[in-house]
Amino acid sequence: MHHEGTVIGGRGRRDRWRRAAAGLAALAVLALAACGKHEDPTNLLPREKKEERVVNLFSPMEKMDPEAENVARTASDLTVMMAEEQLGVTMVYRTYTAEDYQDKTYDDVTLDRVRSNMDDLYLLNPDTLMALGAEGALMDLSELESVQNLREIVLAANTVDGKLVAIPQEVVAYGLFVNKDLFDQYQLELPETPEEFLECCRVFKENGIETPVGANRWWLETFVFAQAYADLYNGGNVEAEIAALNSGEARYSDYMRPGFQFLQELIDRGYIDAEKALVSEAIEAEGPDFLAGKTPIVMAYWGAANTETAYGKTDFTMQVIGFPSSRGRMPVVSTTGFGIGARAEHREDALRALEVMTSDEALQLYAETNRVISPSKNVKVDCVPALQPLSDRIEEGVYVLGSNAGMRVEQWGNTCLIVRELLGGASVDECMAAFDELQAAALK
Amino acid sequence: MNRKSNQKERRRGLTLFLSIVLVFCILGAVVHQVARRITREMSASAIQNLSESLDLIQCTIEAILHSEAEFQALIAQEIARVEDPEAYVRTYERNQTVSKMALILAGRAEGISNTGERFTEEGLDFSAGGTVNGMPVSQSYINHMGTWSYTIKCPVERDGRTIGTLYAEYVYDAVDRALPGGFYNKQASLYIMDAESRRFVLKPKGMGQRNAGHLNLADFYRANSIQDAAIQAEVEDCLEQGENILFYHDIRGRNALNYMWPVNGGTVFLVGYVPVEAIQQEGRAVNQNIFIVVAAMLIAFLLCVLFYYLSWRQQNKLHREQEEERRLHSQQLSEALRAAQIASESKTTFLSNMSHDIRTPMNAVLGFTTLLATDAENPAKVRAYTKKIVASGQHLLSLINDILDVSKIESGKVVLNLEEFALNDVVSSVEAIIQPMAKAKGQAFHLEVTGVRHEYLVGDETRINQILINLLSNAVKYTPEGGSIWLRIIGLKQRSSQYEHIRIEVEDNGYGMTPEYLEIIFDAFTRAENSTTNKVQGTGLGMAITKSIVELMGGTIKVSSEVNRGSLFQVDLELRVQEAQADRQFWEQRGISCVLLVDGDPESRENILALTEDTGIRLMAVSGSEEAAAWMGGGGDCQLALLDWESCGLPAALALRELLPENVPMVLLAELDGEGVEEALGRLSPAAVLTKPFFVSAFREKASELWAEPGEVLLPEAGAPADLRGLRFLAAEDNAINAEILAELLEIEGASCEIVENGRLALERFQRAAEGEFDAILMDVQMPVMNGHEASRAIRALERADAASIPIIAMTANAFAEDEKAALDAGMSAHVAKPLDMELLRRVIRQCTMKERS
Repeated sequence: MHHEGTVIGGRGRRDRWRRAAAGLAALAVLALAACGKHEDPTNLLPREKKEERVVNLFSPMEKMDPEAENVARTASDLTVMMAEEQLGVTMVYRTYTAEDYQDKTYDDVTLDRVRSNMDDLYLLNPDTLMALGAEGALMDLSELESVQNLREIVLAANTVDGKLVAIPQEVVAYGLFVNKDLFDQYQLELPETPEEFLECCRVFKENGIETPVGANRWWLETFVFAQAYADLYNGGNVEAEIAALNSGEARYSDYMRPGFQFLQELIDRGYIDAEKALVSEAIEAEGPDFLAGKTPIVMAYWGAANTETAYGKTDFTMQVIGFPSSRGRMPVVSTTGFGIGARAEHREDALRALEVMTSDEALQLYAETNRVISPSKNVKVDCVPALQPLSDRIEEGVYVLGSNAGMRVEQWGNTCLIVRELLGGASVDECMAAFDELQAAALK
Repeated sequence: MNRKSNQKERRRGLTLFLSIVLVFCILGAVVHQVARRITREMSASAIQNLSESLDLIQCTIEAILHSEAEFQALIAQEIARVEDPEAYVRTYERNQTVSKMALILAGRAEGISNTGERFTEEGLDFSAGGTVNGMPVSQSYINHMGTWSYTIKCPVERDGRTIGTLYAEYVYDAVDRALPGGFYNKQASLYIMDAESRRFVLKPKGMGQRNAGHLNLADFYRANSIQDAAIQAEVEDCLEQGENILFYHDIRGRNALNYMWPVNGGTVFLVGYVPVEAIQQEGRAVNQNIFIVVAAMLIAFLLCVLFYYLSWRQQNKLHREQEEERRLHSQQLSEALRAAQIASESKTTFLSNMSHDIRTPMNAVLGFTTLLATDAENPAKVRAYTKKIVASGQHLLSLINDILDVSKIESGKVVLNLEEFALNDVVSSVEAIIQPMAKAKGQAFHLEVTGVRHEYLVGDETRINQILINLLSNAVKYTPEGGSIWLRIIGLKQRSSQYEHIRIEVEDNGYGMTPEYLEIIFDAFTRAENSTTNKVQGTGLGMAITKSIVELMGGTIKVSSEVNRGSLFQVDLELRVQEAQADRQFWEQRGISCVLLVDGDPESRENILALTEDTGIRLMAVSGSEEAAAWMGGGGDCQLALLDWESCGLPAALALRELLPENVPMVLLAELDGEGVEEALGRLSPAAVLTKPFFVSAFREKASELWAEPGEVLLPEAGAPADLRGLRFLAAEDNAINAEILAELLEIEGASCEIVENGRLALERFQRAAEGEFDAILMDVQMPVMNGHEASRAIRALERADAASIPIIAMTANAFAEDEKAALDAGMSAHVAKPLDMELLRRVIRQCTMKERS
C-alpha cells in the first residue's frame, strides 16, 4: 500500500514538471513567432486618400512678439478652428503686412488679390470692401443664417448696392487712449470738445511734453469723423442728410472742414508730429512712448485695450474715451469684416466656413476672448474697466460711423488718404477740394 | 551583546543599501550612456535627414526655376520667329505660372505687356545679378495680383541679332504648389527669403505656426531672439557665399535646429527651423522606451528587495517572538524553580519550626513525665505536672490538626458540609470563644452587625466558624494588651435575592504587618516572625487555611495593614438564604403580629427592620418614649416591645413600661454585661434581656421564653457529664499503648474493657459474646487483618438481636468530617477522634447507650 502510494506521488510530480515544461515551450514558441512575424506585404499607406478641402484665408500678419500671445488673433483663430472642426476643411492662412510706408499697403494688396482671385476668404477694411463691393468682386452674404443675428448698424455699414458683402466678428470702436495719471498730474479734466482738447495739449506742451498726441498714418481721420458727423449721426435726420450728400445737395467738404482745420491746428501748434506720423505704422510708432508715459494721448481701436501686444497692460491708469466733438466725446465705429471673393476657387466652402465663424456660438467665443462689442444682437460681454467710458457712450447710442456703405463716397479709405495729404503739407482747402473731386466723381 | 548584534545588523543593512545604490548608479550610468549615444546618433541622422529634405526642396525649387527659364527661352525663340512679336506677347494669356509677360524691343525704353499697359523695366531690380540658366532674375516684389513674384528677362534673338528682351513674371505661389504640405509632422517652419532684400517672400502653406509670421530676416531674428552677434555674422557670411548653414537655437523656449539653405546659387534662401523634439522624435521614443524598461526593471528590483525585506522582517519578528517565548518560558521555569526552591525552603523552615514547635510541647510532656516518675508520691505536684502535660499535649494536637488540615486542603480533599444555620449561632459561638480570650489580654472586643437581611442561611457553619476564629484569634494574638478588636458583619447589596452577600470584617489596632509580609501572608508555612524568636506560638498555617476555605466557599479575602497601626481583614461571602416558613409560623402561633421598637440609633433601627422583614411581624420603629407614646395614643397596638438599652436608658424604659399594657412584655436589647440591665429587669417585668447584636433567631428564643407556659421547663442543655460506671466495652485497638491508655482511662471511669488487636478479633469476640455482655464497642479504624469499617459492617450483618443496636463508636486518628461520614456509613453509631478526650467520649457513650436503651 505504502509502496503504491509513493509511485502515484512520483508520477504526479513528474506530470507537473512535464506540464510546466510544455507551458514554457509554448510560451517560447509564441514569443519566437511574434518576433519572426513577417510584415503584411500590402501597401502600408492608407488606401482612402482623403479629399483635402481647403479655404484660403487672407489677412494681415501680426508681427510676432515671442513673449506675448496675440489675443486678437487667438480669438479669431478659435472661430477658424471651430469652422475647421465642424466642416472638415483646412483654413490656410495667407498673410501680408507692409514692412514700411513705402511698401504696398495691406488694402492695396487685398484689392489686387481679390481682383486676381488669389484667395477665398478675405479680412477687409471698410474702404476696400466698399470698393470691391461696388465692383461686384465680393459675394452676397445675405443668404447666410447668421445674418439674422446681426445688428442693424452692422448690416448698414456692410451693404453695398443692396448686397451684404462682409460680416465682421467684432464692431470696432475707435477712441482716444489717455494716460489718466498724466491728466491728473496736471489737474486736467478729460476733454469733451475740440477746444478743451487743445487746452489740454497746451498744458502738456507747456509742461515739457513735446508731442502730446501720438499719431500714425492710419488713424488721425478718426478726429475728423468725430467732428464731421457728430451732428449727422446723432441729429435724428441721418437718412435725409445722407441722401443730400448722395444727391450732391450737400457737400462732404462742408462736413469735413472743421475736423481738418482742427488737425491743422494740432499740427501747427506741434501737438502732432506730422512728418513722423506720415511714415508711422499703427501702434508700432506711437505705442512705446505712450506705454512709457511720455505721450499722454494716442488713438486706437477697442481691441487694443485688451491686447497685450498693444495697450492691454499699462503701468498707469488708462482710459478710453470718445473723440472731442461739439456733442461731447464721440466714439468712431467702424467694421472690419470677412468677405468672400465672387470668383474664388473654394467659395462654397468659404461660405460655409464664414457661416460657422459668424454664428452666435462663434461670436460669443470671440467676444468673450477679446471682450469686444459683438456684431450679433444676441451676444453681450463685459468690457475691461478702461473701456467703460467708451462702452457707455456706445450703449447710449452716441457714436459716428467711420464708414458707411450708404454714402456714395467711400469714407474710411479716402479720408485716410486725404489726411495723409494734410500731413504731407497740403492746405485744408486743398484737402476739401479733394473731397469735392471725389463727390463729383461719385455723382457721375 | 544585544547592542553588538544590533550594530552588526545595522552595518549589514547599510552595506546592502549601499550595494543597491551602487547597482542603481551603475545601471543609471549605463542607461545614461546608452541614451546619450542613441540621442547623438539619432541627432546626427536627423541632421542628415533634415539636410536631405532641404536638398530636396532646394532641388525642386531650382527645377521649377530652370523649367521656367527654359520655357521662357522657348517662348523667346517662338517670338523671334513670329512677324509681330508685340502682338504675340499682347495676346499671350496669363496663367498660374506666368502672371505677366512683357516685351521691350531693342532700342526702345518702353514695351508692351499682356496685361495691356505699357511696360518699362522701372520697378524691377536686376542689380543683384542673380540668374537662372544664365538669364537675369529680378529681386522679389509684390505684383499687381498682390503676391510676391519675380521676373526673369531673356533676350529675343533673331538670326543672331537681339531684337528685344522678353520679361516674364512668375509668382512664388507656383513654388508653393510644388512643395509638400508640411514636414516634420508640420512642426517645422519654412520661409523662402529673397537673398538680396532679406525679405520673406513665401511662407508655404502648412509650414510653421499659423498665428504669426515674419516679414524679413531681421524680424525673424527679433521674434526668435537670435541676437547672438557671432551667429548673425556667420549667417551673414553664408548668405554672402550662398552656403548652407544649420545651427541650434531656442525658438519660443524649445531647442530648435535653424537653417538657411541657398537655392539657385543663393538668389533665394530657404529659412526656417525645426524643433529638436520633432527631429529626434524616434530617438526620444527609443529613449523613453529604454527608460520605461529600466524603470520597470528598477521597480521590479525594488519590489524584490522590498519583498525580501518584508519577509526578512517577518522572519525576524517570528524569530524574535520565538526568542521572547523561549525567554519567557525559561523565565517561567526559573520562577517555578525559584518558587519550588522557596517552597522547599519554607517547608524546610517549617519543618525546622515544627520540629521546634513539636519538640517544645513534647519536651514538656516527656520532661513532666520524668518528673512525674520522680515526684509520684507528691499528689499536688503530680496534679500540677499532669495539668501541664495535658496543656502541652493539646497544643501538640492543635499543631497536628492544622498540619493535617493544610495538607488536606492542598490535596483538594476538603468537602464543604452545607447545612442550614443561623448567623446568630455562629456569632454567639465565636463571641463566646473570643470574648474570654480578649478579656484575658485586657482587649476590648466589639461586635457589630449591620445591613444583614437574612440570618437563616445555608453553609458550612463549622468552616465559617473556623474562618472567624482563625482571624479573630490572630487579632487577639497580634494585638497588645489594652488594644481593641472589631468584628463586623455587614450585609452588602444582594446580587441575587436567593443569596445573602455578607462581608466579615476583622479589625484590630495591633502590631500590624509589613508590606512584604502582606504579600505572603496567605502562603502556607509562613509566620509573621520566626517562631524560634517569637513569643507567639502557632503553626503559621492559619491564614493559608482561612484563605483556602474562603475560596472554597466562592468568596474572597482581602487584607490591609500598617505596622503598629493594626490590620483589617475583609472576607466577602455569598450564602444561600433559607426558606423562612418556620419562622413565620412561630410568630403566627404566638399571635405576635406587631412589635414596637424603641431605638435612638437610626442605623440600628434600619438593621432590625431589615432583619425582621421576612418574619411577617409588623415592626413599629420609634426613636424614643415620646414617639412611642404618640403612637400608642393614636391607637397603636403591639404584642411585644423591643427597647435598645444603650440608646434609650432606664428612664425611657420605665416610661415605656407605663405606656404598655401589663401583659405586653418588654425585651431589652443590650450589650453583653450591659450596665444596670439586670437590675432594671425587675422593675420592668415582664421583661427579658437580649444580647446585642440583634438577630431574629435570638429574638425568637427570647419570645419563646416569655411566652412559655408556667409549668413548661425548657430542656436543659444535653451533655451533663454522666459517668460510665458499670459499663463494659469491647475495644479493638492494635496499638498496645493506646489500648493500655484506653483501658486505664475506662477503668478510672469505673468501666471495664476487653481489648482485641484487630477487627476480625473484635468480630469474633462479639460473636462469641452473650447478648448484653458488652454495652458498646469502641472501634479503631486503621487496624491490621480487618479494619474498623469492615468489622463494623460484619458486626451489623450478624444475625443476632443486638447486632444492629449495639453502639459501635469509632475511635480513630482519622479525625475529619469525611472520616466521620465513612464511619457512619459503615454502620457505626458515633465517631470520636483521637487523642481521646474523655469528656467527649463520656458524652458520646452516654448518648449512644441511652439511645440504645430507649
